[in-house]
Parts: sequence; C-alpha cells; structure tokens
Amino acid sequence: MSTSRDDAPPSGTSASPPARRDQPVRRAGRRRRREDLAWRWGSRVAAALPLAGLGAVLVVLAIKAWPAIVVNGWGFVSRSQWLPGNTYGGVVHTHGVAHPQGSLYGAWPLIAGTLETSLIAVVIAVPLALGTAFALTERLPSWIARPLGFLVEILAGLPSVVIGLWGVLEVGPFLARHVYPLVANHVPNVGPLRFLTGSVGYGEGLATSGLVLGLMIVPIIASTTRDLFLQVPALPKEGGEALGLTGAEVARRVTIPWVRGGIVGATVLGLGRALGETMAVAMISGSVLGKVSPNLYGTMTTIAATIVSQLDSAATDGTGFAVATLAEAGLILAVIALVVNLAARRIVAHTGRLTAPVGRG
Amino acid sequence: MMFARAVRGRGRPLAMLALVTATMMVVATTVASAGTIRLPKNGVEKPPAASLTETGSTLLYPLWNLWAPAYEHAYHQVTLTTAGTGSGTGIADAASGTVNVGSSDAYLSPSVVQSTPGLLNIPLAISYQAIVYNIPGLTAHLKLNGGIIAGIYNGKITNWDSPAIARLNHGVKIPSLAIVALHRSDGSGDTFIFTQYLSKQVAAWRTGPGFGTTISFPAISNGLGENGNGGMVTGCQATPGCIAYVGVSYLTQALGDGLGYAAIANGLGQYLLPTPGSAETEAAGFTRATPANETISMIDGRIRGGYPIVNYEYAIVNKHQASASTATAVRSLLEWAVNPKFGNSHAFLSQVRFDPLPASVIAKSLRQILSIR
Amino acid sequence: MAVVDPVYGSTRRRRAADLAFRAGTMTALALVVAPALWLVVGVVARAVPHWRWNVLTTLSAGTSGGLENAVAGTLVLMAGVALLAGSTGVLTGVYLAELAGPRRSGRPGGGWARGAIDVLAGFPSIVLGYVGYVALCVALHWGFSLLAALLILSLMVVPYIAKSTESALRQVPTNYREGAEALGMSQGYALRRVVLRSALPGIVTGLLIALSVAGGETAPLLYTAGATNNLPTWSLLHQPVAYLTYYVWTDYNQPTSAAHVVSNDAALILVAMVLTMLVAARLVVSRTQRHAESAR
Repeated sequence: MSTSRDDAPPSGTSASPPARRDQPVRRAGRRRRREDLAWRWGSRVAAALPLAGLGAVLVVLAIKAWPAIVVNGWGFVSRSQWLPGNTYGGVVHTHGVAHPQGSLYGAWPLIAGTLETSLIAVVIAVPLALGTAFALTERLPSWIARPLGFLVEILAGLPSVVIGLWGVLEVGPFLARHVYPLVANHVPNVGPLRFLTGSVGYGEGLATSGLVLGLMIVPIIASTTRDLFLQVPALPKEGGEALGLTGAEVARRVTIPWVRGGIVGATVLGLGRALGETMAVAMISGSVLGKVSPNLYGTMTTIAATIVSQLDSAATDGTGFAVATLAEAGLILAVIALVVNLAARRIVAHTGRLTAPVGRG
Repeated sequence: MMFARAVRGRGRPLAMLALVTATMMVVATTVASAGTIRLPKNGVEKPPAASLTETGSTLLYPLWNLWAPAYEHAYHQVTLTTAGTGSGTGIADAASGTVNVGSSDAYLSPSVVQSTPGLLNIPLAISYQAIVYNIPGLTAHLKLNGGIIAGIYNGKITNWDSPAIARLNHGVKIPSLAIVALHRSDGSGDTFIFTQYLSKQVAAWRTGPGFGTTISFPAISNGLGENGNGGMVTGCQATPGCIAYVGVSYLTQALGDGLGYAAIANGLGQYLLPTPGSAETEAAGFTRATPANETISMIDGRIRGGYPIVNYEYAIVNKHQASASTATAVRSLLEWAVNPKFGNSHAFLSQVRFDPLPASVIAKSLRQILSIR
Repeated sequence: MAVVDPVYGSTRRRRAADLAFRAGTMTALALVVAPALWLVVGVVARAVPHWRWNVLTTLSAGTSGGLENAVAGTLVLMAGVALLAGSTGVLTGVYLAELAGPRRSGRPGGGWARGAIDVLAGFPSIVLGYVGYVALCVALHWGFSLLAALLILSLMVVPYIAKSTESALRQVPTNYREGAEALGMSQGYALRRVVLRSALPGIVTGLLIALSVAGGETAPLLYTAGATNNLPTWSLLHQPVAYLTYYVWTDYNQPTSAAHVVSNDAALILVAMVLTMLVAARLVVSRTQRHAESAR
C-alpha cells in the first residue's frame, strides 16, 4: 500500500516524559493519542482487507484456471464447442494435465452471449433512464414524482431471482406471443436486419434476456442521472428559458451537456452490472451451451449463467478439468468486467459518486 | 392412485420377503467378514447423538425431505440436515468430507473413484424417467425408440408427422407440428440416464455427443435448454410440439399439465410405458448383475417387460468418516433408509413415484453400509 | 416565446419537437414504471392467494412447509454482513476520506485500497461465489457454512459501504472539523464525536442498502451457504445456512404446487424485506434533512 505519504509524523511517545498518575489531563491526552492510533491503524487494516480479499480471489482463480488455460489454449476464446468429454471413460493427459477423453471447451458462445445481452440492455436502458430522470426531475410535480422515483428505487433493490422468476413466467411468454412476431414479421429480410427476423422462439433467449437486463440497469443509470440533473444549477436553465428555448432545447443544450460525463459513467456502470448478472439470465436465456444465437430471439447463455448452472455437474468430473475450465471462463468475465469498470471510474472520477454495486446475482 | 394401490397390494409380501432375506444375508455377511457390527433385530443400529448433513441430487431431495423428519422422530438424538444442491456438489462434498452423505442420480465415475478411493455409491431407491411431449389432441401413447429420439435431438427429425415416427405408430393420427427438443441446461442425473439410453441404442450418439450429466447437445435451431425438471415440465407445457425427458417424480405434474408420455423401446425392441411395474421388472433383471460396489447402468436392458430408462438413486458416502460415532450415525441412517419397513417402504417411495430396492440389492447396499467406519 | 431563431427553425417546429420530447420522456417513464409495477404486483398476486402467516413460524420441509428457517438464515446472514462488511466498510471509508491524503494531482488518494474497492465493486458475484466454493468450502474443508457465505457476501458489498461512508464523510462541512480542532480535540476524538456523528445518516443509509443487496443475493450463496431446512446454528463452519432466495430458485422448479407456494411466498417476503430497508433508508434521510433544516 502506498500509504507512506500520509504516515503520521514519528510519534512522540518515547520522547515524552513518563506520564504521572496524578495528572488527569495527561492521562486524558494519552488516551486520546491512543484513540488516534486506534483509528489510524484500525482503518488502515480495514482498508487493506478488501485488497487482500481481492488478491486472494484472483490468485485462487488463476491457480484453478491454469490447467484449463494450458490445455484449452487460445482456441478457448474462439471455439464454439462445449464438450465435457466422457467423464465415465478414459482419462487422457495433455501437456501433463489430466482431463476426460474427448473434452473440448470453447467459450465463444458464452462471450458473445454476454456481450450481446449487455449491449441490448444498454441500448434499451439509456434512453429509458434519461427519459425517466427528465420526467422525474423536470416534468412532474413532486407529489407524483416521489412515489414513482421510489418505485424505480425498489426496482433497483429487487433480488435478481425475483426478477428472473417474473421474466420466465410472465414476460418471456408475453413477448414471444405478442411483441416479437410483430417485429419479426414486419422487418425486411435484408442485410443486417436479417438478425431481427426468423423464428421468434418461445420467450427464452437473447431478446428477453437483454430486455430484462435493460430494465434491471435502468435504475442504476436513472438514479445517477437524476442526482446529476438536480445538481445542474437553475441559473443557466432559467436563462435558456428566458431566451425562449423550449424544454427540449434546454435539455439538449444545457442540462445534458452539463452532466454528460456522469451519464456516460453511469451507463458504463450499468453495463458492468449487466455483464455480471447471473440468476436472471440463467432463468431467462434458455441456457444453450455451444451455440451462438442465429437471430435476436434464439436461446443462448452467458459466462455468469454458465458458471452457476454448470458448476454442480462440473464437480462430477473426477479430473477436476471441468471445474478448472469454469475458472478460466470466470477469469475472462472478471477481465471484461474489470476493463469496463476501470473505464467507468476514469469517466466518473470527477463526479465521485458510485451507485449500486454491480455484478449482482 | 390405481398404480399405487396395485403396487402396495403386491408390494407388502414382497417387502416382507425382502426384509427376511436381507436380514439373513446381513447376518451371514457380518459373521463371515467384519464380525464386529451386529445389526439389531429391526435392522437399524441405534445411533449416538449426532448432527448429520446431506446434500446433493434435487431428484432425491423430496424423498430426503420425507425421510428426515421420520428418521429424526425415531431417533431424537440425531439431527439431519438435507439440501438439494445438485448431484455434482453432492459427490464433491462427500469426497471432500464436508458432508456425511451426498446423493446422486448417477454412479461415481472411474476418475472420481480414482481420486477419492474411499468413496462408496450405495443405492437407496429406484427411479425411472418418462419421455413426455406436448401434442395437442393426441391421446394415444406414442411409441418412440432411441433412433427416433436421437434423430429429434440431432435435428434430423423436425416434425411430428415425420415418416419415421409414423412407421412406428401405425393407426395413430399424428398432426403436423414442428418439434421443439428440450434438454436440461443444468447438470443433471436425468441428462445422464437419458443420454446413456441414446448412447446404448444409437452407435452414432455414443461416438458423438456421448453421455454425462452435462453434454453438448447438437446445436439445432429448435432446441431449448430448461433449468431443472420443473423447468422441463413448465417449458413443455408452454410449447406445443415439445419433447422432454423428466424424472418420474414429475410425471404427475406433467400429466396434470396436459402432456402425453411415450412408450419406449427396450433392448429387446419391446415398447413399454414408464410404470412402477415395468421399472421394477427392469431393476429385477439387473439384481444379479449388480456388482458388490453397486456401480451399474440399468439402461436399455434386454429384459422382457422391462422399461429401459431406469436407474439407482445413490447415496455417496466416504468409507472413512471423521469419528466412530459419526460413522455409526451414518450407518444407522442408511440402514434405516434401505430398510423396507422404514425408508424403503411404499409409504415413502410412492409419494415420489420411486420403486423400492429388490431384496438382494438391499443386501449388497447393507454390506457397503457396514463397511463405513 | 415569439422569438424566431434561425438556428432552431420555426416556432411550430420547435413546439412540435418540444411536444415530442415531453411525450418521449413520459413514454420512457411509463415503460419503466409499468414493468416495475407489473413485477411487484405479480409477486404479490402469485403469493397472496395462498399466503398463510404460519410460514413465518414453521420450518421448511424443502418442497413444502414454511420458511422460518430461511427468514432466520437470511437475517443471520444480513447481521453477519452488517458486522463484517459494516465494520470493514466504514473503517475503509474513514481511511479513504480522512486518512489517505489527497494525491499530488489533487484527486482523492488512497492508492491501492481505493483501486481494490473500485475493482471489487464491479466484480461479478458468481465469480466470487465460485472462488468461495472451491477455496473455502472444498479446499479448506469448511463445507457449506456460514463463514464462507459471510466472507463472500461481505467482499461483495464492502465497496458500497466504503464508498457511501466516504461520500458521507466528505459532505461533513469543513468548519465542523476546524471547530473541533480549535477546541483542541485530537483527530480521533473529533472523528468520533463530531465528524462521524454528523455523517451517520449517510453511513446508515449506505449500510441499509448494502444489507438489502446482501439479503437478495443468490448466486454467491448457492455454492457457499448451501441449503438446509433447519434453523441457523451458532457454528461458523460445516453447517449450511438457509436463505430465502434459495427457495425462490429451487422450488419454482419442483413438481408440486406446495413447492410453488413456497417459492412465491419466499419472493413476497424478499420484496417486503427490500421495501422495509428502502423505507427505513428513506426515513433516515428525511429525518436528518428535517433536523438539518431546523438547525439552520
């Protein structure tokens, strides 16, 4: 830890004259110095704990993943197969690592699924969140804005299994029956738009996962944006209005430019949350291993959902190779989340605010 | 209900016979081999005060939830904690010694046995699997075999009116309906026995996707992964044209949801419905073949009248327990569970549609149980 | 309003654009509020017809029965997180705000500690759960246990508590600190008696929200806390802990309607818990705001 610069000046306890019992002031002074030291070292040790925890997590992950990295090679990020091999058959060795005969792992569909769902989520969430924040801060009287704002806060706090349950029981079937066919049947079957056509599936898959994830990250972006909007001084806004600008123009010319950095930062935080979301996606994605969805509605899976649904059966692989491969997938997810979050911190640095913890499941 | 009554009527004398045989065999074995443990008259050792934990198979979980209060009621000094976490963690936790009993739908693989030599798999009950489908308007049971099911899951057969299915089902009017093939997305003993059936029936499946608790199903556009048996049933109910494999405990729910279930070809080419009787016949055909360590696949047997997708539900236990008193408690629990008067009675098993163990298998299980120290 | 600006086009077009903007924001709000309402109402509607109050006082039988053990387990987990992550997080926040001096660039300091918090805040929770399982439960032979679950959950929410503590401390007016110093208080004494006291509402709010997050977690708990139908015990190791999200996740997939009732009840209790925590956080904020205003 680079704390040397804020180290306390050499403490004077050794140099100070020995305290006498009959001097209550001195005794109090010593107690206070002790309190100072307790705060200083207590907080220093506490601040080191998350660092130590993170370090331990990364070391365990790296150690666990290493055999898989050695065997799976670079092809792991580009292959599409997810073959655990014959766990009841022979054990073979590659580069000295034991694994079941026929095992061949590729994480490309998982990586693609993770990125696709998160992208859909962000594309959906940003306009919704901005609109919501505008409506709540600028448009509505507080007697209605408050309860609605509270509802958005509740949305942020709902456990992801509860949202997943809703997604799989109610939203997915509804979308597949009433919404997706409208899109799929009316979009021309040309060029990249082809991705929006074809079989609409059964409500479990890429589109539903992306939409539900989008709804889950709206509160993250919206609450940050709302707080940022409230920080915009009234003067320039009122000035704009005095000049005859419409509400839309004030928003576009004054409010949004004022807080653009913060919005981008909040969006990237939301993206981080979407990338790491586990339970809701595990319930809604259709959980198909080894296949990239051919269109917007197809079944797929993500890295996080795969870890939670496969760790149990991976434990039946006596060579431990399946568990190691999940560690490798987890490492990739951690790296993606890390890059996204560091980018977010860079952007948000000057707003200095952190919203809900991301990567929940 | 008809089934249950029929079975119970047939089962009672069978159970008594089983008990007598089992006790005799156990007495013989204990005298012959270990000699130190003598089972009391009721066949269950008296456990010391202990706190036992069980984790594992979600298929066995409902049965453990019936067993736990009953066993605790009989032996107040024991608390038993049960948890449905999945067969994989059940095996891993039993191997690492973090739980006393793991439960698994699949027997141990050679590599697990190699890495943890003391691990035993002890059959507790017999389960079987139904192949269900959602074809509105169809009331007859379709006949299906491994070739057709494999054809559906690898994308060669995509419609219920395909000639291959019609050829097997003369006289049954099957509508034209696109097939949606459901499979389990989480690791599962059901996937294990289902894919083992396909592997035994179809050479190309054996060398292709193979079998296991998670396998890479052929990537087909009409495939759908579902989480858990419940996900299979609700998913199938919501999807006309679907086909799915579900543990028999879920058959009642599937039928209530309007799903049909198929008669499946066994190794002799007979088509059988999943009933307690046909599953019991299959299991009875394997009692002699069951080895001392009870690691055996009962899938696709060449047994007259035997339903082909049948398996033992296993307790996974480490032979070497932390202390002698824990070992005694574990033995007691398992002795109680396999005893036809107690855990293996129809009163418990019929609630989850499992079949009891045949007498000679109980004896083999007991011999394994008594080796726990 | 009659100003015609060549940059913005005719008044009519501007009016139309403004109308479209208003409509757009309202549509966005509706598209967020409607599903949120649907979600909450759906949870209530699925649970209430079969709701019986004795689920709170009956032990679970796994696929049927009550949820007493899960409610107790969730509360124990939350209490443990409050203790572990609360103390660590608040102290870390104190370190970041008060003790780590600013960097030469003027940006807040804290170096590695801040970096770790930032990285952890975005760390996928299932990866933490995976590590908890392979390292704590299996390699260290702890088994499914309270301690493994607490460590992993705490690691997950500690960044949030640290950050909210830090920002609460930074919002304490500088003249409070200066006043304390002028009165001859030592730094630690001033921190305890003056600074922390006035930052307390912010810290408590952050803690409450972190706890509601911890109580609603599933992925990191599935492989660390395990599951059990018994009440939590006092042993930190080798004894699994029950929690509500487990029953939502496991029982919606079981064959009986009794199990679906358990799942829906657990979801309802979770939503009620989250609501309680959020309302509590709101009350803390609004009460102190009133105080602050009356003090002025």
